[in-house]
Amino acid sequence: MHDNIIDKSKDVTILELLDRVLNKGVILTGDIVISVADVDLVYLGVKLMLSSVETMEQLKAGKARKELKEE
Amino acid sequence: MNNLIYLFCITNTPPPPKNELESQGLVSLVFDEFYVIVKYVSDDEFSEENLKKNISDIKWLELNALEHVRVISQIMDHNTAIPFKFGTIYNSEEGLRKFVSDYSDSISENIQYIYEKEEWSLKIFCDRKALGEKIDELSTEASELEKQIMASSPGKAFLLKRKKTDLVENEMDRLCKSYGQLYYDEFRELSEATGLNNLLPKEYTGREDTMILNATFLVNKTKVKDFRSTVERLKEKDLSSGFFIETTGPWPPFSFISIKEK
Repeated sequence: MHDNIIDKSKDVTILELLDRVLNKGVILTGDIVISVADVDLVYLGVKLMLSSVETMEQLKAGKARKELKEE
Repeated sequence: MNNLIYLFCITNTPPPPKNELESQGLVSLVFDEFYVIVKYVSDDEFSEENLKKNISDIKWLELNALEHVRVISQIMDHNTAIPFKFGTIYNSEEGLRKFVSDYSDSISENIQYIYEKEEWSLKIFCDRKALGEKIDELSTEASELEKQIMASSPGKAFLLKRKKTDLVENEMDRLCKSYGQLYYDEFRELSEATGLNNLLPKEYTGREDTMILNATFLVNKTKVKDFRSTVERLKEKDLSSGFFIETTGPWPPFSFISIKEK
């Protein structure tokens, strides 16, 4: 129960994902960027349709499978 | 036609081999000492107008946001890389090259800063019903008042009980704050840097309990084990009082990048 419980038991919600990739990161770069107003609209969308997405573990597992296939 | 450039991340060490990147539609552009991981995308999806339209399509957004994190995580398996915000698009290689060259000092500094570090997210929730049931154990004021109630005549007890209802609400607010602070301090000890995010209402979290802390931590890889065992320890300790800990990670350190013009 003690190892990997964090990765395994926690679904990364789409909200968590978007919280990271939309709000954070480098500011004011790129010729085209998503503005704060757009992000608010996105959150509204999420609110209407809250869905759970893959966990980081699954992301990694998916990647590992891909690597295996390639080898 | 794929004439726009979608920027994922920038690193200063060689990324995976060309064929491995190509099979995923990725390209590594070499500008000065940097490797800039991009993919060429089309106007149809990523022009300013179409991107705006597309991000309101949650399915599209979810798919592409996952891809964004997956690509960056993959590069970060063997490199220290600066993750860029989802949907950072350049019109031309020249524009991107100019950005890299104008901000090269800051890019280098950021790479150095996040070297061997991971971002972990920590959210603490409080189930106020569970906390309420334990309130006499956790709050001296509440237990004192309870003693008075027990010792009072029915009429007085009735009034005191009403007083207690208010007191319990206040005490729960106080306890949530102090637990939140305790958790934050505990994890801050184990981190290089921290950030606080907005508390999200229930409609966003889809949970019954209330979010009392939404924080993010930059953790040295050598400390990750401690970080996780601390999560486990606190989880066990406080669950019965209604406090629930949720962590996710490792994330690319999106929250700890700050690019400044030289």
